[in-house]
Amino acid sequence: MNGIVIEAHRLKRYYQRGSETVKALDGVDICIRQGEIVSILGPSGSGKTTLINLLSCLDAPTEGTLTVAGKPVAGLSEDELVEVRRGVLGFVFQQFSLLPTLTVTENVELPLMFLGLRVNPQRTREILAAVGLSDRASHLPQELSGGQMQRVAIARALMAGPKILVADEPTGNLDKATGESIIALFKRLAAEEGLAVILTTHNTAFGAAADRAITLEDGRIVKEEVLKPPSIASLTPATMTGVSVQVDQCNE
Amino acid sequence: MNIDTRNDPFILRRYFTLAVKNLRRRPVRTGLTVAGVALAVTVAVSLGGFMLGYRGAIDKSIDMLGFQVMIMAKGCPYEAATMMLKGGTGLLYLPADVYEKVKSDASIASITPIFVGVAQKQGSGIREDQSETNFLIVSGIEVASYQVMKPWVAFKKGPGYADGRWFSPGARNEVVLGFEAAEYEQRKVGDSFYASITPAGQPNPVQHEFKVVGVLERSGTQDDGTVFLPIDLAREFFGRPNQLTILGIRLKEFNAIKMRQFETRWLSLPEVQVVGLQQVKNTLVSLVATAQTMIAAVAVIAIIVAFIGVINTILMSVYERTSEIGIMKALGARRGSIFQLIWLETVMICLAGALAGSLLAVVGSGVVERLIKAMADFGVSGSIVAITPAVIGYAVLGAVILGFFAGLYPAWRASSMRPVEAINKGA
Repeated sequence: MNGIVIEAHRLKRYYQRGSETVKALDGVDICIRQGEIVSILGPSGSGKTTLINLLSCLDAPTEGTLTVAGKPVAGLSEDELVEVRRGVLGFVFQQFSLLPTLTVTENVELPLMFLGLRVNPQRTREILAAVGLSDRASHLPQELSGGQMQRVAIARALMAGPKILVADEPTGNLDKATGESIIALFKRLAAEEGLAVILTTHNTAFGAAADRAITLEDGRIVKEEVLKPPSIASLTPATMTGVSVQVDQCNE
Repeated sequence: MNIDTRNDPFILRRYFTLAVKNLRRRPVRTGLTVAGVALAVTVAVSLGGFMLGYRGAIDKSIDMLGFQVMIMAKGCPYEAATMMLKGGTGLLYLPADVYEKVKSDASIASITPIFVGVAQKQGSGIREDQSETNFLIVSGIEVASYQVMKPWVAFKKGPGYADGRWFSPGARNEVVLGFEAAEYEQRKVGDSFYASITPAGQPNPVQHEFKVVGVLERSGTQDDGTVFLPIDLAREFFGRPNQLTILGIRLKEFNAIKMRQFETRWLSLPEVQVVGLQQVKNTLVSLVATAQTMIAAVAVIAIIVAFIGVINTILMSVYERTSEIGIMKALGARRGSIFQLIWLETVMICLAGALAGSLLAVVGSGVVERLIKAMADFGVSGSIVAITPAVIGYAVLGAVILGFFAGLYPAWRASSMRPVEAINKGA
């Protein structure tokens, strides 16, 4: 592990809408490290969701190179992209996207079923405790508040031990206090687990809580701000020697 | 917070649980789809049970005749078949001397002459109803050869039936009743029995009073509803002293070649036809072939409707869960995982329908049998619907195969969704 979990160069995603070519993403360079929280800002239609769909291997780029967890993914088929995603990427969606017929515990353990792994009840309890939902383990999603559902979604995203957490507007449907608690949770996971967190948001206050903020407009990066230097303390000794090199590489 | 990286050996159980919960999400829709499959399976199982039961009933009825070949007056083979098994009206007779000619055939192991006549039983028993059962079949038999042909025939035991026996030599007023004939008329050994017989060529019936000297055990064959008389007496009462209805024959060696040779020898007699059991079985089977084809057509239509219903239900379910499927793929579900889940749901619907339909068929088999028998006279005694474990097994297997194919398209469609499009579509 060299500290870089995602690296993209000249990333493009074009769509064909009738005779018109829509340039949803038009040549983006981005590099994301272990333990880093990166917020992607921008108005609606700026390409935020398209970018994180590409970075999380849910979609394939039209052009450019993309490496996720050390694996080049440009040009891969859907079936091949699944293999990259499995166990590496965790997702949190704006609409929570919990399965309504499953309890909180069953929703959280769902990724393990698709990975074919055994459930470790102790781990489930610990993750639910980490997101503050120990007392809601057997509840159905309909019995939860919006903030609680989003916490379940985060717990589910963390269940398989991903290296990267991708959150699309995770605070979009939440009140300010709940949104802040979610951001605080991300920061703790990044610091304690070395999790790379990529989140999109309209909320500049939440965006400012990240280590780095990238602003998109019309499919291009128009601004990139380092809000907080990478926390060397959060990196393991094995990765520390590579950090400066990789930072340089990312800045090329 | 360590992950258990070992594979889950019971992973299918988790897919099963998820599939059950998905199906329970729309209980009415799932229930109706299961009901559709159940209906198709009920029809198919009933049809299978009818086909199997009817063939079994034919086999049993014919085997219980005791003979392999019969010689009878020339006529319609359908009538011959029915007459063998149930007796009947418009009976044809052959000259009695045919018996003397045929019994010397060296290939015969045993032979018994039978005279069949139809008597009226008005006023004969305790029943005064005017139902269609006012006629009774009278069989005149030669006891010694009849017993050789049917060694399993036994007399009913117990209070009121003790000392049951065949006719005394020379007796003119003794009858033996088949099980059902005795039950229907509520006659026991020692009771009187009345029958009105119209002698051939006479306009009016003659009432006879008999004494019941024996009641036979139930055999499940035409014998159960028959009244037995000594053959000479029966021929006399029916005014046909020199005629017979059937010669029942068991050959020393019975196969197609021997049967053909025997048939060829005796077809030279101008008045008779030689009928093998297999021919009778085929005739009886062909009697109901049309009915079976019609029921089979209904079953096929029901299966097609159920098949389309299952596909429609699962497709709707997939459409409704487009976003969820996208999420599952984002969470790491492979194409095969989604396919497996959707396919499992389809098979479960079909399996539930198969079990419910089989249960319904078993519970309703009595009703089905009465309905089928009401539609036509199938010429055999006993049950004609036999729903065996094998029939149910085939029905369940068929339903699972149905589910397998019904689930292919919805499962393929679901598993082929691209996660981004699926998530966006459902959002």
